[in-house]
Amino acid sequence: MSVPGFEGFEKRLELRFFDDDNSITSNPMGLRLIDFESLDQVLNEVQCTVVSAVANRSFDAYVLSESSLFVYPTKIIIKTCGTTQLLKSIRPLIHLARNLGLTLRACRYSRGSFIFPKAQPFPYTSFKDEVLVVEESLPKSLCYRKASVMTPSNNPSRAWHVFTASADVESDEPVVVVEVCMTELDRVNARSFFKRKGDEKSNSDSAGKEMTRLSGIDNINANAFICDFAFDPCGYSMNGVDGDRYSTIHVTPEDGFSYGSFECGLSLYDDGHEDISEVLSRAIDVFRPSDVSIATTYGGEEYNHEVTKRVERVLAKKLGLKCRSRLMDVFPGSGTVVYQSFTPRRK
Amino acid sequence: MGGVLSSVFGSGEDAVATGTESEPSRLIKFSSSARWQLHYNETKESNKLLVVDFSASWCGPCRMIEPTIHAMADKFTDVDFVKLDVDELPDVAKEFNVTAMPTFVLVKRGKEVERIIGAKKDELERKVSKLRA
Repeated sequence: MSVPGFEGFEKRLELRFFDDDNSITSNPMGLRLIDFESLDQVLNEVQCTVVSAVANRSFDAYVLSESSLFVYPTKIIIKTCGTTQLLKSIRPLIHLARNLGLTLRACRYSRGSFIFPKAQPFPYTSFKDEVLVVEESLPKSLCYRKASVMTPSNNPSRAWHVFTASADVESDEPVVVVEVCMTELDRVNARSFFKRKGDEKSNSDSAGKEMTRLSGIDNINANAFICDFAFDPCGYSMNGVDGDRYSTIHVTPEDGFSYGSFECGLSLYDDGHEDISEVLSRAIDVFRPSDVSIATTYGGEEYNHEVTKRVERVLAKKLGLKCRSRLMDVFPGSGTVVYQSFTPRRK
Repeated sequence: MGGVLSSVFGSGEDAVATGTESEPSRLIKFSSSARWQLHYNETKESNKLLVVDFSASWCGPCRMIEPTIHAMADKFTDVDFVKLDVDELPDVAKEFNVTAMPTFVLVKRGKEVERIIGAKKDELERKVSKLRA
């Protein structure tokens, strides 16, 4: 392909702040008090903008022109695709947090491998350069740092890149984050994410709702409220809000560079919530991709190998996806990361 | 401006017209359940469309869409725009089943005709335009 298509693979940045200062007692909403104009300015630097938003008692969720932004009282997650300049947000966000009396505690930057790596601007042309840029933006207090590229032997071009920096050795949050990246989406399934003829620009909200329903995305987690958006002429994004759990899906449906991502954050001590393998199975079934990678970050010391094996069993049984590679690494202050790669079993 | 309303409602604290001294807004905020109930009952008598904006002070998306709501209130002068804070009036928020913010409930003659959840300004504007007749 002489002209690169749209890059679906996202860059993800997570910033966590200390919550044991007086600042949080006096301002329990923490980062949620950052005024919108300031947030908008940061997003401007990154080269994206808000297209939809919703909130509940636990967090604010913004759908962006290029993915998503989640603001919790002491945590921000930004995920952006295309050729956005995500790392430019680090310094201004640390500054805005400091104005609210919040000190940075941990930073995590991660991404898969770009479909069109040469189309990326500096420093995203090389992970080493990205790490350099992140490190320069962080205070020295985040002294436990690690960078790692997890490369599956069966598919070296689909590696997972992680950089973490933390003020603590142990992870501060018992949260599990699951990031699913899917390519070569089933063409019929991908059709749901093209706007139908006659759906003009003004109907992006209702077109989004229609895509959520048609694709079966509304069945992934029946408890979640879904804030969705349909792009012109194709493409889809949604944020799911369920108590303090977020989920997010982004779709680039065009054949040749089709991509879908599903991410969710859940607490380890979650009773009464459904088994994550069932949720993942439903999410991946929406797209029926020929290539799936799952990166799971287990915050806290409670890595549960049973969960990893169960995910592999469920995906094999329900979707005919065989796990071709499983890699693990531990990141100080962040926890254990497991990176699994799947492709369909040969019929 | 607050003074005009004070004379209508008695105490100036329970129903406040939002906006500033120089830019009065038609968006009215109720902090008292009783005053809100009175207003709501009044609207049941007319065919006027009522837009209730459920928001919270700590809700980022609510703050984001606020200028748009003010503009809409000024533009659609035949529509009643009311703002309720879910922390100040939790009973009303519960009565209307508000779980995510902002939630816009469109009411006519005491009956809910539409609901928009999230800061979706295009969808809100479209539905208000459609239902104001």
